[in-house]
Amino acid sequence: MIRTRTWIVIIAALAVAAAGAILLIRFFGAPGTTAEIVKGGEVLYTIDLDKVTTEYEIEIGDEDGDRNTVTVRPGMICVSSADCPDKICVNTGWASKNHPYPIICMPHELIIRIVGAEGEADAEAG
Amino acid sequence: MKKNLSLLFAAAFVFLSLSACGAPREYASDFFAMDTYMSSKTYGTDASGAVKEEAERLESLFSVTDENSEIGVLNVKGSVKASTETVELIEKALEISEKTDGALDITVYPAVKAWGFTTGDYAVPSPERIEELRALTDYEKVDIDGDTVSVPEGFMIDLGAVAKGYLGDRVRVILKDSGITSAIADLGGNIVTVGDKPDGSPWRVAIRDPNGDGSVGVIEVTDKCVVTSGGYERYFTDENGVKRWHIIDPATAQPADGGLLSATVIGEGCVLCDGLSTAIFVMGAEKAKALWQSEGGFEMILVTKAGEVLVTDGIKDSFFLDGGSGYELKVIG
Amino acid sequence: MAKRIVTDAVLAAVALVLFVIEAQIPPVVPIPGVKLGLANIVTVWALIRIGAPDALGITLVRIALGSIFTGTVPSFVFSLSGGLLAFVAILLLRKLLKEDQIFVAGVIGAIFHNAGQLTAAAIMYGTASVFVWSPVLILSGILTGLFTGLVAQLLAKKIPRSIGARRN
Repeated sequence: MIRTRTWIVIIAALAVAAAGAILLIRFFGAPGTTAEIVKGGEVLYTIDLDKVTTEYEIEIGDEDGDRNTVTVRPGMICVSSADCPDKICVNTGWASKNHPYPIICMPHELIIRIVGAEGEADAEAG
Repeated sequence: MKKNLSLLFAAAFVFLSLSACGAPREYASDFFAMDTYMSSKTYGTDASGAVKEEAERLESLFSVTDENSEIGVLNVKGSVKASTETVELIEKALEISEKTDGALDITVYPAVKAWGFTTGDYAVPSPERIEELRALTDYEKVDIDGDTVSVPEGFMIDLGAVAKGYLGDRVRVILKDSGITSAIADLGGNIVTVGDKPDGSPWRVAIRDPNGDGSVGVIEVTDKCVVTSGGYERYFTDENGVKRWHIIDPATAQPADGGLLSATVIGEGCVLCDGLSTAIFVMGAEKAKALWQSEGGFEMILVTKAGEVLVTDGIKDSFFLDGGSGYELKVIG
Repeated sequence: MAKRIVTDAVLAAVALVLFVIEAQIPPVVPIPGVKLGLANIVTVWALIRIGAPDALGITLVRIALGSIFTGTVPSFVFSLSGGLLAFVAILLLRKLLKEDQIFVAGVIGAIFHNAGQLTAAAIMYGTASVFVWSPVLILSGILTGLFTGLVAQLLAKKIPRSIGARRN
């Protein structure tokens, strides 16, 4: 048997650790600044958000008529409009290195994620 | 129950620390050789000493700026008794010259010098001088008799377009002989890989953007060489505002004008990749595509003046364009 | 026997109501299909006060009917993986809990429910990037688990053990 007091300590510690992790993610962010736009499992675009100088948009559509508009700004990316029913993707807001949470439009099989060291190269030729 | 719990924690702890210890040790080093910065990263075994030694050894044979190297002696005396490596490299370069109709030509050195790329005294040679230089550029005039290499009067050889490739091939042999199965080396821009990364995923090599600081994209490779040639590496702007770069077209004795900003060749033979990247930069996309279709044995990524990135069919699934770079991706094949 | 069926049915209905209520609440994280997991408290209650087979039955009925009423395919899959994982977790850990520690079971259930949802989401959406939400879901799991757990505990005090009680 574990005493109630012990359980409370365990739960509290877990809560503190989780809160700490959230702050760390906010503070340090993802290990990289590369965004990947994945449609139907295929990486369509890889964008280094740090290298973006002006805002631009990318239209993503497919033969079923699904439409998502992705807006890219220096350091951040979001889905600015979509013709899916629940609009969770639009309401997710901006993803960036310090807010590296994936944006998912489930009905359109679209995912925008911030990748860490994965997105970066091991060496550069040239 | 408590005992079971603590056993569980202990097991978890041990398991976690074991998997951390399982990651192979990384050995990284960097050094200066062949007039450029080089670095290497190997996993499991440290071979940095051997790599550096080989680079310096080959430099002493091939360096065109060292009058005591075999090439240095050849360029002054007109002939030299050369070591097997030098002969081998020259022969390989001449083979590439033949395949590419002279787009790669190691005898183009006098022209490179005349434009000022070896001293920094950049100048546009006069039309008469250019004619003279064209006469001095002909790979077919290089004669190899056993271990003696000779060239006609006034001719000079520079192995700069293939030397790092030769080093790359040698480095891969050295590393593999040491039992290394995962490594990556940057030999002055020539990327050489052994196997995959330690976690089994392929090496990711970025291709430099000729127009800026970033990259045009990333190519995933396993056990291959990646070499890029581009005018952006060394150039000057003449009094008319025209960019003149160091990759000279052997046929015209003037900076190559094939329509490309950079040419990247990927393959297993580093000398081939090195030599071909220069040749293809001179040849341009159309001729390069024809060469690829008839020869095979390599893949390429071409960045054109028209803002396109052309990749050959064999790597279309392992090349990832950088969406933010503004280039248009086209698969040729 | 009839008493057992009635009790289970009532509990299933309560779980269903909770499920439908929470479907009206905006999602805690912007992963399509991920829910808070309020209905899990019924699973917790049933596991501690009645028995494993009944608890399992009630949970499965809640997931099936709940998804028919309100859900999309992903939310059904997530409810299933979350609900089952929570069930297994509490089943294994209930020996460690005393009568007045139902709230702890609530927290454990909620955390594992979210873990199950997150894992299913990673598989279904084919990206591990969703796991970056883990700290948020642990925290929300603790909070919802505490809330529902304490309510359940209070009710447990009020409702005599004789009703539907069988511990196996």
